[in-house]
Amino acid sequence: MKLKRLTTLALYVTLSLAVYAVESAIPPLVPIPGIKLGLSNIITLILLHHFSLRETALVLTARILLSTLLFGQFMSFFYSLSGGALSLLAMFLTCRLLHSKMVFLTGAVGGLTHNLGQLLTAFALTATPGVLSYLPFLVLSGILTGLFTGFTAAFTDKYLLPHMGRDDFSSSSSS
Amino acid sequence: MSAKDRGNPAAFLIGAVLILLSAASLIFILLPKDQENGYTADIYQNGNLIASISLDEVREPYRFTVTGDGDCSNEIEIRPGSIGIISANCPDKLCVLQGFISDSRLPITCLPNRVVILLRPNKDNELEITPDIITY
Repeated sequence: MKLKRLTTLALYVTLSLAVYAVESAIPPLVPIPGIKLGLSNIITLILLHHFSLRETALVLTARILLSTLLFGQFMSFFYSLSGGALSLLAMFLTCRLLHSKMVFLTGAVGGLTHNLGQLLTAFALTATPGVLSYLPFLVLSGILTGLFTGFTAAFTDKYLLPHMGRDDFSSSSSS
Repeated sequence: MSAKDRGNPAAFLIGAVLILLSAASLIFILLPKDQENGYTADIYQNGNLIASISLDEVREPYRFTVTGDGDCSNEIEIRPGSIGIISANCPDKLCVLQGFISDSRLPITCLPNRVVILLRPNKDNELEITPDIITY
């Protein structure tokens, strides 16, 4: 991996960690575990557009590890990892299907699958079928917050990134 | 969004599935759940049923504490017809924020301490039709 690329990826880890920190300062909107904005997904969506799946996964894993170390608790690692891995895979497929267009749909798919992954982990960890009654709440919130992060990512990509020297890495956007 | 994008069948399919899922969830959330016979609260810890309390038979509110491995503790208050966690040593306290529940729509979950409180409708045994014999 070229040094410049590695540095760019490291910057993205920092960026998503900062976004995560801001989000964790926001008090929970609804007292239901698993419902949150998921603002770090904005960074993941932008990365998916411009970098390969491997590089995006690298940034995401680093972000989850660091955020658990800095802000989280031991258990949240498993929730973040399962949700993150499932949503990354789903978003990658959606992104390719849509040819990187209509990012809001990719975001919604990501939010949905992230919450599904977390719910499955909660089911596995608590071993209580009752937690599955959260399903409709998590499906709805995942789609709505995913739409929001999707739109935000699309606008960031369109208006903000061109001013940040995007040309440096956009040449290798095909993966 | 150009006309070409709109014609993308994959986008249409994904959008349709997402809208259907949202609608189904919304219907499920808003669906009224009438229950005349009251509810029984099942308290699970690590997937094991540790207490089962019929909320209709509660006359006076009372409290008890559920403790688990790793210093987990959740103080639960039972009131006539409702149940809630009033204090816990978990970091986010979402279980406390959720307050008291009185229907089976949403369980109270404390994920860090792996405690789940679920309300189960009391079954009216008279109405339950149980077969005397089954032949094949």
